[in-house]
Amino acid sequence: MKRRIATLLLIAVMAITTGCGANAETGGAVPPPTAQTQGGGPREGLDGTKFTETRHITVEVFDRANDGGSKPEDNFYTNYIQEGMLRDHNVEVTFVTVPRWTEIEELNNLLAAGTAPDICLTYSYPTVQTYANMGAVIDLAPYVDECKDILPNLWDLLGERNIYWDKDPKTGSIYAIEALLASLARVNTFVREDWLKTLDIPEPTTLDEFHNMLTAFRDNAETLLGADADKLVPFSISYDVGWRAETLIVSFVPDSITDKTRYIYGFDDRRLLYPNYKEGVKVLNEWYNEGLIWKDFALYGSGDTTEENMMKAGYIGAYSHNIDNAYRNGEDSIDANLKRNIGPEAGFIAVDPFPNDVGKYKKYVSPPIDRKVFFPATNEEPVASLLYLDWISSYDNRIFLQYGEEGVTHETQADGSFKTIAASGDKIMNSPNNIDYVMTLNGHKLKDQALTFKTLAQGYAGVDSRYIELAYEVALTDIVPGISVNVGVIEAENGIDTSLAKKRDTFLNQSIVASTADFDRVYDEGMSDYLASGGQAIIDERAGKWSEFFGDAEMLP
Amino acid sequence: MLKRGGRVKGRTSAYLKRYWMLYALMLAPLIYFIIFKYIPMTYIQIAFKKFNITQSVWEMEWAKNNGFEYFIKAFSNRDFLYAVRNTVMLNVLDLAIGFPAPIFLAVLLNELAFKRFKKITQTIIYMPHFLSWVIISGLALQLFAPTTGLVNTALGKIGLGPIPFLNESVHWVITYIFIGVWQSAGWNTIIYLAAITGINPELYEAAAVDGVNRLQKIWHITIAGIKPTIVVLLVMNLGRILSSDFDRPYALGNNLVSNVSDVIATFVYTNGIRGSQFSLATAVGLFQSVICVIFLLASNAIAEKFGEHGIMS
Repeated sequence: MKRRIATLLLIAVMAITTGCGANAETGGAVPPPTAQTQGGGPREGLDGTKFTETRHITVEVFDRANDGGSKPEDNFYTNYIQEGMLRDHNVEVTFVTVPRWTEIEELNNLLAAGTAPDICLTYSYPTVQTYANMGAVIDLAPYVDECKDILPNLWDLLGERNIYWDKDPKTGSIYAIEALLASLARVNTFVREDWLKTLDIPEPTTLDEFHNMLTAFRDNAETLLGADADKLVPFSISYDVGWRAETLIVSFVPDSITDKTRYIYGFDDRRLLYPNYKEGVKVLNEWYNEGLIWKDFALYGSGDTTEENMMKAGYIGAYSHNIDNAYRNGEDSIDANLKRNIGPEAGFIAVDPFPNDVGKYKKYVSPPIDRKVFFPATNEEPVASLLYLDWISSYDNRIFLQYGEEGVTHETQADGSFKTIAASGDKIMNSPNNIDYVMTLNGHKLKDQALTFKTLAQGYAGVDSRYIELAYEVALTDIVPGISVNVGVIEAENGIDTSLAKKRDTFLNQSIVASTADFDRVYDEGMSDYLASGGQAIIDERAGKWSEFFGDAEMLP
Repeated sequence: MLKRGGRVKGRTSAYLKRYWMLYALMLAPLIYFIIFKYIPMTYIQIAFKKFNITQSVWEMEWAKNNGFEYFIKAFSNRDFLYAVRNTVMLNVLDLAIGFPAPIFLAVLLNELAFKRFKKITQTIIYMPHFLSWVIISGLALQLFAPTTGLVNTALGKIGLGPIPFLNESVHWVITYIFIGVWQSAGWNTIIYLAAITGINPELYEAAAVDGVNRLQKIWHITIAGIKPTIVVLLVMNLGRILSSDFDRPYALGNNLVSNVSDVIATFVYTNGIRGSQFSLATAVGLFQSVICVIFLLASNAIAEKFGEHGIMS
């Protein structure tokens, strides 16, 4: 009997510890409505640009968790910023880390708990908009205008274009300031230069040539990889097909696409709704079935390094990615690894193989905007926070943060350009040119264009600047910058971008791995599900807004 | 009357005087439950209100349709219905395959003659229980990925085509269920082994005298002896049919199999936590909890019946 009771007790304990398992993870602390500290105007307590009493702000910084990196919230560069802000503005700065790859979830949690940093940044404007709709984001419009004279560096770097980018046409509110994207070069297709030489194939300039090249890689696996022949992947993509095959897919978009079409069908940042997108995906489907595409691409999630390791090991023939993907990260770059693992001749080169219907190599790039900087309503120091942005944007400060110390992270050349040196230890930069600290700027912006370009090409320690120049040249060929269609909030976009992006990835993945005969069915079903789940509502609302603001016009005024 | 009342009063105060420390001790867990379990429940309102992070939950506006806007939204969302279907399907399969596995294993362990071998085996089969699903999914990718996975590479060497363990819906479901069995069967044998030790050894001796063979012993004594435990656990598992883990399907799932791997918990994550639709997510969570409670109460009632039966026999 005792044993039986003991058994029942044990069952009870196990049942409690295993639990019902229902996940109701919402809720959490809700902050009280914040009282804006506006008594006496925004300049209260300021003597010139310096506070008479020390103020305190918190600033978001991405944690990229790189190998050998330093603590993103406490290192040589954060000390530089903290000392400078205290000296120049009497503002104490604390950094708060947010993981780079799950930034939206983390920000959601911080905002919902009322503990978000005073200065937040994200790549997702819909996230800002969602919280602005709840009144949880400070309207920056009055501050940026009233304090214009004490924010000279910010206005100088970003200009009206970026500061007013998100200004609501009706209410005039500004919930986020758009950082400047200095170079619009964005995406490249890379192929193994040494493989082209081994197989005596010229660099591909058309889709057919590219396809033939991939086929040749596949068929000559023994020559190229010897014993590892079965590991060869001619073309690799990730689950994020729209991004990783973008150069190929958008080459099917008709050259004649108008601003109106680009706006109405432009919600998805991978351009999923653009005309003829399906044709591009169909090519991938055919290639997949010919064994030219990495079979496991859909299994690995965001931030997984399996694919990158395959590139570094030399198994991948071609891929498409960020403009400088093969060369960035110094000693740990794909290029450096290839040279170490295979030999000095191994390496990737940028090519431009996908002309559109009129033979142009169009690449749809972002508008000159980058991260969105916003202040949550819990920020009690909007002016101190703006002074922080101004401080970061000042030429001398951002140059130091981007290029570091002379002789440690860069060498100044005779012409005044900077050549990057790979650093380690506490002066290592956790992100390329400390982009995570220089939150108002992405890329190089020196005194003039020529210097900027030279610095750019020398920005990759250990890489022949010829490759970098070529990469930028290719990436800038026939670029089409994004357009700013400022028609206010599209209600249908509220809170839906992440679930729609997941749907997009899901059905693109499924249609690529479908048999060629099934492709149309899988793609069309996926697309109609996407449209039914909110995509069509966005298209309709955008179409309505366009005709409200621009009438029948096909192009922006 | 007065006298009697006074006596009761006197008894109560004497009782309290004597045992107040026990009540004081119980206060701590009570406060814990009130603060961390009951007060947060006030936020269930979010399911019926228009969520706003700058307002307290009491100030938020009621949602449309008498507060049921988000429930209507969830039930008119195809993804949610698929998530419900997948949750039930995966749990039923888990029950059908994952539930008998530890019983089988416990009986096998019980039959082992070498005690040391039995102990070592037990320790080894418990171990997967302590791995997180993130690690297990990493292992699964290393083993089962079509081109780089160890199993498929080995199959390739002997001329067998890759088996799409993780990238085709039906195969994925099988992989999912069996990885679950591998992870938890060993751990779940603990209860059955404990129940088996509760069986009177005289029964085995008597059976041996009667010339009963081994399989008959297992069936008529061991299994019969642990039947009450099996019934109780089965009923409790039935109560969890609509509850769902988050980490297991999320970590093992991928875009190619999302038609079977998206469950309620991952739906809540994608739409609620990532998509900031907190009201919708709370509504779904509440729906799930209510169904859970109904199932639990129903199964509890059945458990009591079977429990009596189990104890009587």
